[in-house]
Amino acid sequence: MAGPPFSLSPSFPSEPRDERLGKVFLDAETIAARVHQLGAEITRDYQGKDLLLISILRGAIFFMADLARAIDLPLQMDFLAISSYTEEHAETGTKAIRFLKDLDQPVKDKNVLIVEDMVDSGLTLHYIMRSLSLRRPRSLEVCTLFDRPHLRLVDVEVRYRGFDVPDDFFVGYGFDYRQSFRNIPFVAYLKLGPDQPTLF
Amino acid sequence: MIEETPTFSYYRGAKEPSFATRTELEAAKLFDYHRIAWEYEPRTFILEQDEKGNILEAFTPDFYLPDLDLFIEVTEMKQSLVTAKNRKVRKLREMHPDLRIKLLYRKDFVRMAQKYGL
Repeated sequence: MAGPPFSLSPSFPSEPRDERLGKVFLDAETIAARVHQLGAEITRDYQGKDLLLISILRGAIFFMADLARAIDLPLQMDFLAISSYTEEHAETGTKAIRFLKDLDQPVKDKNVLIVEDMVDSGLTLHYIMRSLSLRRPRSLEVCTLFDRPHLRLVDVEVRYRGFDVPDDFFVGYGFDYRQSFRNIPFVAYLKLGPDQPTLF
Repeated sequence: MIEETPTFSYYRGAKEPSFATRTELEAAKLFDYHRIAWEYEPRTFILEQDEKGNILEAFTPDFYLPDLDLFIEVTEMKQSLVTAKNRKVRKLREMHPDLRIKLLYRKDFVRMAQKYGL
């Protein structure tokens, strides 16, 4: 016998709530409304053009999925994965950024829109844009859910931005803490203890 | 003086860098990871001289990123250091309006940690 139909309540995850989860920063409805606005802008700007959305795994996957469905145009999707900051190259021993997973299709002469979860220093995005621009797309633009322009070191142009956000740790809607919390449908503050993550 | 001496691939200076703080070292590693060419303390700017030309105040930004034409000064959390460096950066901008310089705080690295999956 089948169980009751699955439903995702606004208070998901249900009790007990993880004690590391702080108060809600953006609820699911606010995120959805902004994503639909972005989708409408992109639909207007890319009328009559082919469009390829490229997402960087893994933080932007939910944003990518919702944004793609909010764009009322035929489009294609592809994904990139980049090496971790802490991971050494197995052969060279270096830690330089590189693609762990490359695109599955060429971007030459295509209108490419990079879909990011967060842009802060712009260093990672700068590398990605520099690499993709060498493949000669027709256009190359950026859409990010969260932006911290005050942390920018590299002048990368962000054409579409969801929210300017403060310098807090967030989880949910793709944002993780040690690979957890990505599937929470809202964005919440992460309560940091003495083991707060840092680069050093 | 920091003991750790990683091998850098994108350092463009003539002599080996000698980092004063851990934050400087981590900034260098961050640039190198992103394949951004960097120099360490390549230039000193005179901020104030007396009438005889004696240097009263000077400022040597920690990094220069030649491909981005950008100077970077990094600073620790200590408020006295932050205030002093802010003042120097402001003075430098007044004297050289076209020069691009950014102040990077230790807390900025903490914030960037999420981006790098730590």
